[in-house]
This record gives sequence, structure tokens and C-alpha cells, in this order.
Amino acid sequence: MSDGREEREEQEQRRKWEKEKKDRDDDLDRDWERNGERERRDSRAVEVEALNPAVRAQSGQRTRRSFLVAATAVAGGYGFYRWLDRSPMDMRLQEPLRHMLRVNAKVSRAIFDERGLAPTYSVAKSMELRTNGNYGLKMDLVPESYRLQMVGVENARGLPQYVDDVTAWDYEYVAKKETGPVEHDTKVRPKSETNAVDGAGKVDANGDGGAGLGPMMKGGPASTMVGSRAKGEDQKAPSELLAAMEKMKRRPRGQEEAGMSRNTLIPGTPGLLLKMDEVTSLPHHELVTEFKCIEGWSQVVHWGGYRLADLIAKFPPARKADGSLPKYVYMETPDGDYYCGFSLQACMHPQSLLATEMGGRPLAQWHGAPMRLHMPIKYGYKQIKRIGLIAYADRLPDDYWTKLGYDWYAGL
Amino acid sequence: MPEKPVDKGDSVEDIKPAAGSGPEIVEVIPEVLPAPVAAVTRTAADEPVAAAVSATSPEAAALPVSESPIAAAPVEIDEPVVATIRLEKKHPLAIRWMHWVNFPVLLTMIWSGLLIYWNDSDNAYQHPHAVYRVGVGSLTVVRLFPPWFWKLINAPYRVTEGLGYHFFFMWIFAINGVLYVSYLLISGEWRVLVPERRSFLDAIQVTLVDLHLRKGLPPQKKYNGAQKIAYTSVVLMGLGSLVTGLSIYKPTQVHWITSLLGGYEMARWEHFWLTMGFCAFFLVHVGQVILAGWNNFRSMVSGYEIVPAAKASLEEERRAG
Repeated sequence: MSDGREEREEQEQRRKWEKEKKDRDDDLDRDWERNGERERRDSRAVEVEALNPAVRAQSGQRTRRSFLVAATAVAGGYGFYRWLDRSPMDMRLQEPLRHMLRVNAKVSRAIFDERGLAPTYSVAKSMELRTNGNYGLKMDLVPESYRLQMVGVENARGLPQYVDDVTAWDYEYVAKKETGPVEHDTKVRPKSETNAVDGAGKVDANGDGGAGLGPMMKGGPASTMVGSRAKGEDQKAPSELLAAMEKMKRRPRGQEEAGMSRNTLIPGTPGLLLKMDEVTSLPHHELVTEFKCIEGWSQVVHWGGYRLADLIAKFPPARKADGSLPKYVYMETPDGDYYCGFSLQACMHPQSLLATEMGGRPLAQWHGAPMRLHMPIKYGYKQIKRIGLIAYADRLPDDYWTKLGYDWYAGL
Repeated sequence: MPEKPVDKGDSVEDIKPAAGSGPEIVEVIPEVLPAPVAAVTRTAADEPVAAAVSATSPEAAALPVSESPIAAAPVEIDEPVVATIRLEKKHPLAIRWMHWVNFPVLLTMIWSGLLIYWNDSDNAYQHPHAVYRVGVGSLTVVRLFPPWFWKLINAPYRVTEGLGYHFFFMWIFAINGVLYVSYLLISGEWRVLVPERRSFLDAIQVTLVDLHLRKGLPPQKKYNGAQKIAYTSVVLMGLGSLVTGLSIYKPTQVHWITSLLGGYEMARWEHFWLTMGFCAFFLVHVGQVILAGWNNFRSMVSGYEIVPAAKASLEEERRAG
């Protein structure tokens, strides 16, 4: 460095320059300009003027390139969404989504094995369960006419409860004495609303607000398909079954939106007809658990009844030819309107209960008297009311809500 | 020829960004850094403001010029004459991809979640959703959401669609989130994201400045204090959504998680309000991005931001933490 005077001069000059500089527009150029002699600065400034655009050009090139990639990705993403949304329907759900539900079920089974126990609560915390969905319950069942059909039981032929045709049993119904609290199921669009949306002006075959008083219960026409956005296929019952039903002059089965079950018994199916005391002679259990509906609400409920596992132990499934047990259990209401499929393992869960009491009182008709299922490892839509049939099955059984777009597994 | 960049006495003033080869300048940095490091760094969008307010430290204020003299090695340009701007790699490729993948996926999760939530908002039948409301005890200020909202988003009776999408995209959301956090940890990028102790004070200042209640942003590196807190929180919220979501999805099998969260209804409440949190984050985030301008937005797509050549390198920060 030179002496102080020179330095001061230089600083003086620099300050002067800075002052001028402040009037200039480009702030970014300031960094280097306060250095060196003025001439040099100016000559360099020209070079910099030429350099900055080069940086900008480089940025522009990168920007164009990455925005092109981004545009491609957006197009790809949109294409993926469209593919997903417009995939063919598998039981009212886009095939890839349906497939993913099955994958999720597999993952859940692999990780949790459905052996976990649901937490239980004190009775004081329990409350009256909402009624939600009256499929298969639209008329009152005469209690004395109740029998539980069981199909696929080991050595059934040798048991006193054996009959050649369980489907021949006549359940007696009477008009509802009490409707119970009328509720509103939001899992599918109500028929009346759908008609309004469709503008088809059809008469709601079940136009009773869920009270079970509509023309359908008098053997009227089935109103199976609903839903303006229901893109699914109409369920066709096997013709032999329809013919047999015709011959029996019975009310057709599967009168609700999901139609008739694939697993509905063909007339002439042999099995057991159990009276209630076959169930009530099993050890009695009580359970206070949280009931969870897929609609989003949940309630702690006090249940009383009998372990499904105990009933299965009493009437075990017949082994297949290779000695293995059937994998599934199928249940149905006596009129075949509502039905559910389960894995045998889920039915063997210690908390899977054949409930005959709720809140310390006998089950009301609208809650599924004389016997409904409580299964805290599944959503409410699997907890079928008024069980008329328990059948062991080799193949995945049909399930009411699965056909309307919900998950078959429904495991919690 | 390059001048010797460092001299005793007025060394600070003598540093010339224009001078000489890169390496030599890089060597300088450690010596200069002890001076107020943070005095310069700002996002380019706010550069003029930053320059104006950065001279807060005594040393910087003593300078005849309004900016602090820290030089950084030019990253992009190798010419002996150095441009006053340079391109800085701001966002790594992986982060950009994961950020943009997350946007439509989270949107799909929120939309499909609303389709599911609609099911529990049945006011007509005296079963108004107990969970999705604002209120204390029996006092309810507002129930979410009003019928016009459900109509607007066309939610009624699309539960199956909602469930189908929710349980499909949950995987993408979870995998993307896990990859993102793993990337932060492995690359060390977490250092610029995770708040330090002073971030909380900074965040208050930044908020006051944003609300025009105060002038003078605190010094920052890649992100300011408020950004660090917001971006870290939103990652934690994502984790919260996964955990509460799992506890709602499998409340029997993982009932211990559900119980820890306060039970099934509580878990659903938490899941819902976390989602509302995402929506709030989204609004503020988009607003701030609009205010920050094109240069900043572009960097989330191209990865590069145009910054003054003198700005401290982010690579330094990434290394230093």
C-alpha cells in the first residue's frame, strides 16, 4: 500500500464514484465497480454488460428445458388421472382402485393378521346404537318362525338338525309394529333422489323413507339399480334359480340395490336348521366396544351374545377333499336382501359376537333381532343384522356393499 | 492480473469480485466469513431491499458503500471477467420432483377426504358431524361444511370414489414423504430447512415485516426463520396425517396409536384439522411465492436462481449447516 494521502485520495475518488453510481439503475452491477481505476472499470463494465446476458441466456436455457420436462410430467400426471378415473368399473369402482383395495387388504393381513383385539370400554360409556340401513329388515320377523340355516357343516347328515332343503323353511313376517328411529343411510344415493337426478320419473319401489312399508315388501317389482353415477353392471341371477323361485311363488331374493347375491342358496340345498336355543346354550359373553361405520361416525355400544367362534366349534366346517378347511364364511338375512362375506379367520376372532342383546336389553327388530353380528375388527356394514344363514364357502363370498363400490375386506 | 485480494488494513474493501481466478477467491472466504456473514444473503427477489437493510452491523455500516463486501466464488462463469450475476443452484432435482409430485397428490388426498367426510355431515337427519365443527363442549360456532360447500365441490354420495382414491393415493403420499425426508437426511439439505434457536425470533420479525409493521428483514441464508419453521412444520404435519390416518384406518389393529391420539374420534378430529392446516399453509405459501416473484418460483422448477455474484454460496451453508 502507498502512503496515507494517496489512500485518502483514492477513497475520496471512490466515494465520488459511488455517489454517481447510485444514480444508475442496475444495482447488481455495484459489486465489482467500486474497485480499480475508473477507466479499467468502465472497460470491464462493458464486458460485464456482455456477460450478464450470457448468464441470463444460460438461465433461460435451463428454464426452457425444465419447463418442458415439467409440462411433460403434468401431461403424464393428467393422463394417469384420466386413466384411473375412466378405467372400467369393477363393482362400481374403477378397476385400479378396486385392485388397490385388494392390495391394501393383503398388506393389512400380512402385517396385522387380524388378531388384534379391539379396546373395550366401561358400560357407562356405552350408548344406544344408531340404526342405519334396514336392508333385510323391512318387515318384522315372527320370532317363533326363526331358524338359523347352516350350510357346509361337517357330518351334517348325521346331525338331528339336518334337513334336505334349508331353503324350504318359511320365515313368517308381519308388518312392522314399530318403525324404530328412522335413519338415513348415506352410503349410496337414495332412490328418490336418484330418480330426481335422472329425471326418469320412476316410482320409488321402496318409497317409504326406510320404514319398510313400500310396495316392494308386498312382492312388488325389484328396484335394483340406482344411482345416476352408478356405472356398474346389472346383476343377473342364474336362470335356474329364478325358475325355482318362480315355482315356489316366493318373494324374489335380493330386492335391494345390490341385487341378488351370487351365494344365495339354490333351492334343494341341504344343511342344518338351528333353533335359537342351539345358540343360546353357548357360553354367554358381553362386550363393550366402539362400533365404527364407514360413513364416519362411531359409538361405544354394549353388546351381549355368543361367540361366533363357539358356534363354529360346535358346528365346524366340512373339510375339503384335500383335508383343508374352507377359507370363507357367508351370511345372509332370511329374505336374502342383505349379505356379507368373511374370512373364516375373522369369524374365529374372539370378539366376533353373535349379538342377541344391546344395551342390556334384547335386540330390537330394527337392530336385527333375534341375532346379529358384532365384529369390531370390521366396519359396521359387515355386521349383518338378522342372520338367517351361515354358510362355509371355498370361494370369496358375495358381499352387499362390495357390489356397491365398497371394500370387501373392510378390516379395522 | 488479479490483485491480491486480502491486505491488512482495508482488506475488506479491497476484495474485488472481478478479480482473478476462482480458487484464489475461494481461499479468501474463510478469512472474510468471520465478518458479518449474514449481512448479504437474501433471496434475489428482494435483493435491493436486502442491500439497503443489510448494513446493520457496525462493520458494514462503517463502509462507504451500502453493501457488505463478501465475495463468493463464481460458480457458473469461468471467464476472467466475472459477471455481476450468476446462476445459483437453489433446489436439488430430487426436492423439486418430490415437491411437485406432492402437490397434486396432497390435493387428491384432500379432495377424496372431503368426499369421505361428507358422509358424516348429515344434518338433515340430526346426525351433524360431531367431529368437524368449531366449538367448545356443547357450544358450536360453525359446522364444517355448510351445504352450499358440499354442493359446490359435488361431494354428496361419492363416498366409494373418495375411499378408493384416498386408499390409492395414500401410498404415493407416504412414499413421497418418506423419500423426501430420507433425501433431506442423506444429502444434508436438512441443515438449511430445520429451524435453529434464532429462527423463532427471526420468524416473528419476518412476519412483522410481511405485515408492514416493521422494516428490516433479519439476515438469512437459503430460507428465513419463518420459512424454516413453516417448511419443517408442514413436513411434520405430513407425518401427523400419516399417523392419524393409520390410526383411523386400522383403529383395532393399531389401537394403541389410536388411544395415544385420544381415541378414534379425536384421531379423526386431528386428521381433519391437520388437513385444514395444509390448506392454510397452501394459501400462505402460494401468496408468498407470488410476492417473491418469478426468479424464486422458477428456481423450484429449474433449480436455478439468478443471484448477485457476490452473494454467499448456498453450498457453503449446506456444508456448514
